[in-house]
Formats: sequence, structure tokens, C-alpha cells
Amino acid sequence: MVCATAVLFVVCFVFAPSSVATGALAGSLPFAAILAIVGLGQMLVVQQGGFDLSVAGGVSLAVVIATHLPAGHDSALLPAVVAAFVCTALAGACNGLMVGFLRLNAIVATIGTNALLYGAIFAISGGVPEATTNLLAAIATDSVFGLENTVWFALLILLLVLFVVKKTVIGRRFELIGANPLAARAMGLKVRRHQAMAYVFAQLLYCVAGILLAGITAQPTAYQGDSLLLPSVAVVVLAGTSLLGGRGYPVSTVIAALFLNQLSQFALAVGVPYSAQTIIQALALGFGIAVYSLRWPARPLQINKSKDPEERDELVAS
Amino acid sequence: MRNEVVSIAQPSVEKIPVCAGSDAQVRLRLSDISKDFAGVSALSQVSVTFFAGEVHAVLGENGAGKSTLMNIIAGALRPDQGTITFEGETVGQMSPEVAASLGIAICYQHPNLLDDLSVLENLQVALPRRLFAGKPAEATARSILANVGLDIPLSERGDKLTIAQKQLLEVAKALAVRPKVLILDEPTASLDQDATELLFRRVHEAVEAGTSIIYITHRMAEVRQIAHRVTVLRDGRVRGGGTVDEVSDADLLAMIVGRTLGSTFPPKSARAAGAVCLDVRALRGTRFRDVSFEAASGTILGVAGVSGNGQSELMRALAGLEPFDGEIALNGRKVGRQELLRRAAFMPADRHAEGIAGSLSVRENAAAGALGRMGTLGVMSRRRELGMIDEIFDVLAVKAPGLESTIVALSGGNQQKVVMARALLSGPELIIADEPTQGVDVGARSEIYRILRKAADDGTAVIVNSSDAAELEGLCDKVIVLSRGRVVETLAGDDITETRIVGAAVGALTHFHETDQAAWKLSGGSRWRRMLEADNAPAIPLILVTILLALLGVSYNPHYLSAFNVSNVLQLTTTLGFIALGQTVAMLLGGIDLSVGPLSGFLVVVASFFINTGHPAGMFAAGFLLIVVGAATVGLVNGGLIRFANFTPIAATLAMYIGLQGASFLLRGGPGGYIDAGVVSALSVQIGPIPIAFLVMCVFAVGSEYLLRRSRLGWRLRAVGSDEFASRRIGLRVDRIFILGYLASALFTALGAIMLMAQIGVGDPQQGVSYTLESITAVVLGGTSLRGGRGTFIGTAIGALLLMEVLNVVSFLGMSQTWQYVFQGMLVLSSALIYATARGRGGRGSKLA
Repeated sequence: MVCATAVLFVVCFVFAPSSVATGALAGSLPFAAILAIVGLGQMLVVQQGGFDLSVAGGVSLAVVIATHLPAGHDSALLPAVVAAFVCTALAGACNGLMVGFLRLNAIVATIGTNALLYGAIFAISGGVPEATTNLLAAIATDSVFGLENTVWFALLILLLVLFVVKKTVIGRRFELIGANPLAARAMGLKVRRHQAMAYVFAQLLYCVAGILLAGITAQPTAYQGDSLLLPSVAVVVLAGTSLLGGRGYPVSTVIAALFLNQLSQFALAVGVPYSAQTIIQALALGFGIAVYSLRWPARPLQINKSKDPEERDELVAS
Repeated sequence: MRNEVVSIAQPSVEKIPVCAGSDAQVRLRLSDISKDFAGVSALSQVSVTFFAGEVHAVLGENGAGKSTLMNIIAGALRPDQGTITFEGETVGQMSPEVAASLGIAICYQHPNLLDDLSVLENLQVALPRRLFAGKPAEATARSILANVGLDIPLSERGDKLTIAQKQLLEVAKALAVRPKVLILDEPTASLDQDATELLFRRVHEAVEAGTSIIYITHRMAEVRQIAHRVTVLRDGRVRGGGTVDEVSDADLLAMIVGRTLGSTFPPKSARAAGAVCLDVRALRGTRFRDVSFEAASGTILGVAGVSGNGQSELMRALAGLEPFDGEIALNGRKVGRQELLRRAAFMPADRHAEGIAGSLSVRENAAAGALGRMGTLGVMSRRRELGMIDEIFDVLAVKAPGLESTIVALSGGNQQKVVMARALLSGPELIIADEPTQGVDVGARSEIYRILRKAADDGTAVIVNSSDAAELEGLCDKVIVLSRGRVVETLAGDDITETRIVGAAVGALTHFHETDQAAWKLSGGSRWRRMLEADNAPAIPLILVTILLALLGVSYNPHYLSAFNVSNVLQLTTTLGFIALGQTVAMLLGGIDLSVGPLSGFLVVVASFFINTGHPAGMFAAGFLLIVVGAATVGLVNGGLIRFANFTPIAATLAMYIGLQGASFLLRGGPGGYIDAGVVSALSVQIGPIPIAFLVMCVFAVGSEYLLRRSRLGWRLRAVGSDEFASRRIGLRVDRIFILGYLASALFTALGAIMLMAQIGVGDPQQGVSYTLESITAVVLGGTSLRGGRGTFIGTAIGALLLMEVLNVVSFLGMSQTWQYVFQGMLVLSSALIYATARGRGGRGSKLA
């Protein structure tokens, strides 16, 4: 991933210098940062063999709460941010409860939650955009050492995720459970609880992304999160996290977000239409998956053993 | 499950005299068969001759090579060397198809029954068509079942049967094809005495009809009862045999035991036994009963028996992984499952499934059990982690290229040592090792014995389950022998010999006694229950909800049922319905097709270049043709990626999703290319308020439902979605069915795209995408399980209607868009929860069998 990104930047430098000019980079990096944060959230869920379709709802809800509740007043920003965290955490808990404890299929559960989130979004916003408060815009877009705060936030969150997943007892158990829930169960670990937590933390990350997105966009719409769903999965897969669960790659996920973002910038600079960009993204995604699935061939079928995910679920659940 | 020790009744049927050796007809001859698995020899130079009209027993311990031999005869495995001759002709390459065409039938010990299909469908999907020709299928099926004395409703689903019923069904399937060679792999393992005797009568009848029967067993009594000839395998070689009358039990036992171990054992515990560590009283679980024993600290207790007699289940119960009745006391205190999970360390038999996390490193695997002790306040200390691992690896002599290499790069023996290191690091009070040397090379075995002995010497009790009696003889201080779930012998001290253990295991005459259980299983077996559990049962409540919703709409606004509104809802339902029917196929296969939404949009964009006013009819035809061809291509690519390039269904169809969206934008930057009005109005023709297209969609739904329930194709689809492995073994071409399924999904989407084209009337690259989520919603509402194997097209069609109605009612009642989303979300979640609960209970019930 690092190599691919480096190559891309070199290619950009040679063929489309305007896409790596300071101005273009500064303009697009915050969007890459937001994709990175959302991607990290999706990564947590994918690590548990899940799939979170409520990305769009979570991000959009944070956006509308952060803009509609204060309605332009800086003083109301803090309560709004707190409200956004509470609401998304509830949504995550709903996902986690249904997937982790009630063993619903992750896709179905998160589709349902996403619809409920959109209900909330409309209840709050009525579907119309609202201007960002000045304070939030300042928090998100002020620059420190030449980089906008949003980028710093993303880096901070990367470090946080990295620390929790790789350096703490909880994180290590989390990865182990994702890699093989049956083995984790046989060791006496609390499989369901960890699987459920993945959805809660993912929603909290979407919330951060949503608030920052509200900050960097002057008049964010109520659907601001929609366009993040597929890229969030794409960056996780490109970073090498298996859709079957297991080890997560936070750094690569962030780099993949940078990569996808730069790919669009490059395409834009050389005048490729939007359509071709998405095709390139699809090819990159397909190529990425192909490389990883060749590296980790699916486990051969176990004869006479728990034959399918259903039984695995039941074993874990029992 | 109850089992009883019964006094053996002498066979009620007279054995057919053995045909005189020379003039008997040779049915099947194996010459010098050898087979290696990754360098380990499973069979070497095996030559056996099977005669027509004889029962030929193959005896041997676990790992002697019996299953390998059987799989080679059935064509499931290819020998590395040697030839197979069938009725005098050499078989070039045996495959399951060739075996079936020669008339070789096999009856596996673990029945190849598809849980989601009914008994009748199980028979129909597995047996050749000719058996059902000319007569009603039910009559044929009933006579097949009656042949083995099975009296179960034909519409009963596979997962409702007891293990004994499944096994009899498996035998019935094998007998039904009147095979020339019938392989029975421990067919009596879970049968009660009556069923066993009935089975033996059928075997005799088959033999009289000239069938050659290969009977794999561990039980000498059964050999005496029905076999004419016997061959004993040990270490993958033929150790002897002959006609049954000429060999004594003592001779047979001598041939079975005496495996060369090539590994040494540590000296046994010299100390007097310590305090009782584990006290088990009257323990009862899924496949064992009345098990009582004590294990002292500092000793190793062995659990012996022919595999599949309840040992694994006992071990899992002791580890807290399976529910049990009875008492377990650990160090003097009664404990429950949660405590056992925490305080006992379990080393599973299936290392890959349950022992290791294959994608993680050696270090991560070794540390997994003791993470809490390697950190301070929840933060890992790398120094302490490495220190503890280095220390234990030194003691256990683990050979790994590095702590950071993935664990699957290690040899089986070293993987097992890592599992042991993890277990020891967790500081357990009890160690439970299930088949600890399975898949471990000979050299590493003695080290594993040494580690287990050292763990015992350090004061914990160690329980070892092994189907290798010689291993238990060398390792254990005390051995209990299980047969059909009961302790049939307890050996200690010098009594622990391989001969005593094997003698107790193969000589035991216990039977599973399942009649009471069977009665319990089917007590609720009324027609009503089966109707409620039918795949398409959700249709009725869904229709009721749909009607109620319509009444609600009318009561608020009489125009709700106006012709305009009805036709509007039905138009929208038609488009979604077709696409959701496609999604149903993918989900019946246990997969998902995320690409349907963008595909429908893409196809409309393609059509918008051809089907325009002023173009000749040929262009119109080309447009429709391209829709079909484009969809077919996409379906084939999806299926190919999933089956041959190892993509998960989500990954493959997600990549396709993004790609198709891009392709749409490539063709059209924005809306353009108006669809010919004639075509649009032709597609929107109505009878009264009902669009004809809607009726066509209903016909497709009903037709697909019919095919799903009544045609070979439908059974195959559900079989593959239900259990890929079992489907492969009954000879289905799994890859082809998967690809056909994704092709069907795309073609249904093409029909949906045609309706979408009429609906929006213009090529717009932004349209269609939302159908992915909506189709999944409709399918879930309709009651199709995302786990595959169970589903209904009719339910899906009604689900689509209900979804569109909800959206319509909300706007009709003047409620805000909020409610559209809220209703939609609640519908999905509540229906998913209801279906999961309804099915979950059935699933758990069958697990207890």
C-alpha cells in the first residue's frame, strides 16, 4: 500500500504536477483525513468479520446534529457535539446488540439501523442544509504547522486506534477474536461483547468524522455521509484487512484513504471524467482483493467439523 | 440420549455361506495402493480383493487408513500408486461420477444430509432420476424409507431428524440404487439394537442379491455377526485377514494393536496420587451419559475409546464449552460452565478450527491466554510478553523461525507446542487435551508427551483424550474407556495396556438407545408445525400486514385505493420485485449480490442509446439484447470471481458495484437519451389499475418458487446454499451451480432494469443504485435466510410490495420523510429478529441431537 501510494505520488508529480501542488494538497487532504477516520471505524467492524452499512447514517447524523442544533450559534456547539456522540453511540450499541448478541446478519442489522438513523436525520434537519458555526469551522480548518486541524485530528485518531488495538490487552483480545472467534471462545474470552463493541467504537469514529466534515463544509447537506460508505469499505480492503475478520491495519487504512483521494485528484488534474475515476477505483479495489486473497487462500474445508458459519455462530453463541 | 449395555443376541439371520474362494466372482480388486498426505504415508502397498455376494469387514484403529481406503474406492481421493480393477477391467481414474456409474455406493459415517431440505427433497436431489420415474415421487420415497424401517414424514426437514434417523436415511439412499459395491462406514455407530438388526437384515438381503459389501467397523462382535471375510489395517498396511470363521478374536486383536510408535514416553508419575483435582459425578451431555471419575493432581488421566463415542463431547463439557447435567468439582468446589471456561485450559483436537488464529503471529497466538498477566493496567508490556514467551518456548523447545512469523508457517508439532505454551501460560488448574498428537509428526510427539507429563508434575491434573490406545498406555496414570457414551472400563497402573484398552473399546456391546429421544423429537411433528416452519410460511403474515396497511391508508384517505395510486405502487413494486427476486437467488446460495442496483442503472443507460424514438426496430432489438447480454456478463464475472478467484461475495460484488457505477457515468455524464414513448407505454399497459408487468413479475415469482420446490435445479440450488461440502459429496457440481445462481441474479436484474427504463424514461447514471439496499430489504422482509438454503421467491415479491406500500402510505398520510425511514428500519429489524428467533430455536434443537 505504501509503495502503491508512493508510486502514485511520483506519477502525479511527473504527469500532473498541479495535483500535488501545495494548494491542491491542502484542499484535498482534509477530505482524505475524513475518509481515513471513517475507514478506521469500518476497519474495526470488518476485523470482527462484520460489515457496517450504517456509515452513511452515522456520519450524516453527526453532521446534522453539529449544524442544526447550534443553528449558527457557537455557544451551542459543545452540547451539540455531546449529543452527536451520544446518538451515534446509541446507534452503535443497537448494531452491536443485534449482531453481537442476537446474532443477526451484520448487513441486515446495519441496513435497519441506517434507516433509523436517516429517520433521525430528517426529524432533525427536515432534509435541508444548515450553515456551520464559525467555531466549528475554525476548529476544523485552522492550520497548525501548515496542516489543517482535520488532518491532525485524523493523525491523532490513528495513533489512538493504533495504541488501543495493538498495545492494550483489550485490543489484543479484539484482534484474536476477529481472527478466530471459535479459538477465542475455547480460551474463555468474551466473544460477543468484543464483537458488539466494534460497532460502538466504529460509530464514535463516524461521529468524529461527521463533526469534522460539518466543519470543513460551509453548508453541509443532510446526505453528506452517503458518499463515504463504499470508499470506507474500499480503504479497509485495500489496506489488507480480510473481510473474513482478523488483524487490522490502521496505518495502511489511512494510507489507502490518502491513495484513493490522490487517485481522484490525479484523475481530476489530467482531466479524466468522474466516471473513469470510479472505474479506476473499482479496478484498484478488485486488484487489492485479488492480491490479498491469493496471499491468504481460504482455509480448506474441514471434514466433519463445524461446516459453516451458521454452526460457528452457534458455537460462539452457546 | 440413553444407551444401554445389552446382552448380545445372536444374529437372528443366518449368514450366507462363503463362496468358495476361487470360483467366487471378483467384484473389486485393489492392487498395491499407496497414498501420501504431505509426505506422511496413509496407505502403502495395500492390496485387497472384494468378492460379489460377500460382506467384507475392514478393521483397524483410528488412523489405520480405513477412511483413506474407502475414499479411494469411492473416487473422492486419488491414489498415488496402484490400480483399481472393477469386474476384471482396470479403472483408469476413479472419480465420484465414475464410481456412481459403476454402481459403487458409499454411506458415510457422518451423513450427507442437507439440513434445509425435506426428507423427500434429500432423496430426490441425491438419487438418480430414473428411480422416481413412472410413479409418484412420494410413493417411491416411502418405499425407500420403509426398506430401512424409517417412519418419518416426507416433508420433515433434515435438521429435525435424529442422528440415528439420518444414518438410516443415508443407508436407505445407498440401498435404493441397488449398488454392486456398497461401502458402509460404521453404520451402527449411533443406532439402537432394533435398528442395528434391521440394518443387518438389509445387508443380508443385499448380499443375497449379489452386492459386495465393504463394512468398516471397530467392533469385533459385528464382524462375527455379519461379515464373511475380514481385512485388518494398521499403519496404512494390511496386517492380515481371511475368512471370519478361520480367525479368532485374539488373532484379530493382535493384528489391530501393536502400532509402531517410534516415540518414547516420559516415566509415569512416581508419587502417590495427590489430592483429587477433578471430581466428575454422573455427568451427562450431548453424546455421553452417566460418566463419573476422579482425576488426582499430578496425574494424567486418559479418555479412550473408538472415536465418535462421546469422548470429544465429554472433553468439551469439561472445558466448559458444552452444556452438561451432573456435577463437576474442581479442587473441591462445584463449578459451572463459565468457571470451567476460565480455569481450565483446553487444547482442541481441531487445531486449525479452534486452536490457533491462523492469520496471527506465533507471538500473538502464544500470548493469547495470558494477556492479562503481560500488561499493567490494561497496557501490554512488550518486555514482559517476550520474556514470558521466551521462557516457556525454551521449556517446551518450540522451533519457530521467529516470533513474528505467522503460526501456519510452523510444522504441526510446533503449532501444537504453541497451543500448549498458551495453555500453560494461562496458569490453568486443569488441562484438557483433546487428541494432542493429531496431525503431529512422530518426532514431536515424545516432546508433547514430556510437556504434558511436566504439566502434571507441576501439580495440575491433565485429561487426555486419544483414539490411539498405545499412546494412552505409554502416557497415562489412569484410563477410562468410553463406548457409546458410557464408561465401560476404568484401568489403572499396570492394567493400562493397549490390548486391554482396545479390547474394552472394540469388545463393548453397548448400543445407543435412541427411541425415547426420537419420540421426543417428533412429538410435535404435526402437520401444523411443519407448515409453520415451511420456507414460504412468512407469506401469510406478510399479506396480512400488507392488507392492514392498505386499510389504514384508506381509513385516513379514501383516495388511497384509487386506481392511480394502486397502479403507481404496483409499478414501483414490479421493478423492485424483479431485482429482489435476483437477490433472493444470491441469498439462497448463502451469498449476496451488491451489484444489482448499479447494474439495473447501467443497463438502462445502455438501453438509452438504442431504444429511442425514430430508431428502427432493429435498434430496439439490439437494445434489449444488450440488456440481457450485459447482465449475463456481469453475472458470470461475479460468479467467476467468487468461485475461482477466491473473492468473498461481498468483495466481488462491491468491486462490481463501483465499476458499474463508473461505467454508467462513462457512458452518460448526466440524464439523456429519452426512451421511446411507445416502448414505455407498452411496458406500462394495465388491466384496470393493475399493470400487466406486475402480473408478469408475480408469475415469475410463483414460477421460480415452483422450480425451487419441485425441480432438480431448485433442490440443487438450496442444497449448495445449505451445505456446500455435503453437496459436493452427493455429486453436485457446486461451482457450476454457484455461477448459474449469480447469472440468474443478474438476469432477474435485467428484467428489473427494463421496468426501471419504463419508469424513468431516460438514461440517467445516477438512478438504480438504491435498489441494492432496497432489494436486500425486500428479501429480508420476505423471510429468506441470509445463511443460505432457505428462502422463498413469493415472500420476496410480497416483501417488495410491502416495502413500496410503506413508503407510499407515509407520503399519502402526509407524514414527513422521517417516518418513511423509521418504518423501513423498524420493518427490517423486527422481521429479521422474528425470523431469527423462530429459526434459532429449531437450529438449537437439532444441535442437541
